[in-house]
Amino acid sequence: MRQRRERAADASPLPVDTSRRSSAAPRGNGHSAAWGDAPCPVMVADGRGRLVELNAVAASLFPGAEHGSSLRDVVPTWLFEAHDRFASDPAEQHPGDRTPASGPIGERSFEAHPARSGHGQVVWWLVDDTDRRAAEEALRSERERTAFLARASTTLLASMHVETCMEATARLAAEHLADAAVTVAPGGGRGHPVTSCGPSGEVMHTTVRGNPEEVPGLAEALRGFPPVPSRRIDPGALPDWAVPEGLAGPVGSVVVSPLPGHGVPAGALILLRTEDRRTFSENEEVFARLFAARAGAAISAARMYADLTAITATLMRELLPPRLRGVHGVEFAGAYRPYSQDERVGGDFYDVHPGATGEEETLVVLGDVCGKGLEAAVLTGKIRNTLQALLPLAADHQSVLGLVNGALINSHDTRFATLALASVIRRGGTVRLRVTSAGHPAPLLVRADGRVEEADTRGTMVGVFPEITSTTAHLELAPGETCLLFTDGIIEARGGPWGDELFGADRLKAALAECAGMPAEAVVEHAQMLTEQWIGGGHHDDMAVVAVTAPHHAHLTAVDGRTRGRYTA
Amino acid sequence: MTPSHNPSLTLTVEIQRNTIVVHVTGDLDYETCDELVRTVDAQLARWPQDGPRLTALHLGFAGLRDVDSMGLSALLTIRRRTDAAAIGLSLDERPPALQRLLEITGSLEHLTAPREDGHAGEQPGAV
Repeated sequence: MRQRRERAADASPLPVDTSRRSSAAPRGNGHSAAWGDAPCPVMVADGRGRLVELNAVAASLFPGAEHGSSLRDVVPTWLFEAHDRFASDPAEQHPGDRTPASGPIGERSFEAHPARSGHGQVVWWLVDDTDRRAAEEALRSERERTAFLARASTTLLASMHVETCMEATARLAAEHLADAAVTVAPGGGRGHPVTSCGPSGEVMHTTVRGNPEEVPGLAEALRGFPPVPSRRIDPGALPDWAVPEGLAGPVGSVVVSPLPGHGVPAGALILLRTEDRRTFSENEEVFARLFAARAGAAISAARMYADLTAITATLMRELLPPRLRGVHGVEFAGAYRPYSQDERVGGDFYDVHPGATGEEETLVVLGDVCGKGLEAAVLTGKIRNTLQALLPLAADHQSVLGLVNGALINSHDTRFATLALASVIRRGGTVRLRVTSAGHPAPLLVRADGRVEEADTRGTMVGVFPEITSTTAHLELAPGETCLLFTDGIIEARGGPWGDELFGADRLKAALAECAGMPAEAVVEHAQMLTEQWIGGGHHDDMAVVAVTAPHHAHLTAVDGRTRGRYTA
Repeated sequence: MTPSHNPSLTLTVEIQRNTIVVHVTGDLDYETCDELVRTVDAQLARWPQDGPRLTALHLGFAGLRDVDSMGLSALLTIRRRTDAAAIGLSLDERPPALQRLLEITGSLEHLTAPREDGHAGEQPGAV
């Protein structure tokens, strides 16, 4: 180690070299020494801490210093101590091995580089590093801020929940930008939701019914106007709700910044510092705005998401298929499976409109609108409403279909729907149906003996052609028999052992043959289970089925002995 | 020949003297049907005014795999376009799935009916 040091000294680093030359210069005549005109301050002190010489720059730096002055009296303590350490430790041959002493002199900052001269004297070269330090400090704080903003974005974007975002904003701001922070959301009629976070990191939610004007600049910030400069806000004017609990002292300075959102302001952010802390600098206010921009974007996104979710939920409630049950002595059951797990509504639908009494027909509607998702669901809603309005005309399926067709047809698109209508009434033990298909696969009849028949009906889809035609089948169901209405999605479902085969009408018929005598609910479940097994995890379209079944327990109401006496267990 | 690509639909356009032939390969469904309509629109718009008269659009379905209701909707849109442009539309080499869909929905006759001269611009089915 020692050897290495000596070799290093031989390599003559600049300070040592220079000082040696200076010691060779005539003594007591510093101004003629080589360093006399050096642009940096240079001074020579002896082993007892007395000033021997100094150049002109050093003299202007240390007013009153002259030959013979005690260093303790004329230079700052840090420099005197550095000299004391260096002069009293002869082992310290090479100062380049350690961090140079540094500290403030007046308003600037210096590094002091010592070099040994003859007679135990030390030459101190002082290098002004004020600007470098300022640059380093700026760089460090800039890095910290960038890291903070990145962390803030990650935290804020982790949630699509408005309250969580407001909370994260208040907490991050209280931790990194101020002693305490308050976020204020734009108010509806019920006041402004306020989230505050004090020095403890504990977050509080309140709703403020007061006037936002109480906080200077807040009303403007909530409208998205640029922030009011911190110095123009009187901390004494803050209402109680704007000052979180747990602050160490009275509020000394305040920043109110808008939280800019997507198009509309997402709220406002209030930053508070106590009196004993320095007030917000202009730089800090700018940074607070940068943070507010990120927080505002996150809150705004979360709010839009919440709005959309609420709208979707409302629409869903309208569009979800109804729960079916027995009506006027006839069993009804339905099932709907949208094409994707993420969707709850789609292009297939069904409705059952019960007759006012058992003497009136109940209308069953099953439909399939082309397209998927919300767009299809909206068209679905339109068709369902139109059909409901047309219920009084249900005695004539052709005129109902013609009117629905007229309501849907337009020149700008060719979206269409296929429909199946069934008017159902119970007469004694049998159930009579009028069934009409408009562009739909023909409904299937499951007879009591296991035969499966296609209803003899066909017709044109609705919504595209000015003229449509259809035929209606008149059917009767004995107890235990079922009429199944279904959408294309069932027979078009791809799957099976090779994953690519259509379920097909024949498989559906075979499946239904096993359903003879089953209640409506069981028929629907069986059909649905088989298609789902067929599909496995594969892709499929919307699927809907409705079963209309003549119940076995007809004898309970039909006590006239006309029951057919065929029951399954 | 102007091929255009989509993950599950490939369209190949063949220009003949008086006709445009579009070969449809793959799935014509919710995801891809716009592609077919766009391609047909572009071809109709591109037909030179000063050259031979365009008399027919042929859609070749030999390579068609699946077709759903949106695919059918696209064909209905194309039929409106060809009627408006007073050219014939022909759906060639229809596989069973397409044939079945056209039959069940009652759209087969409308889509395959010969164009009636002098009724250009009328909607399909208005025959």
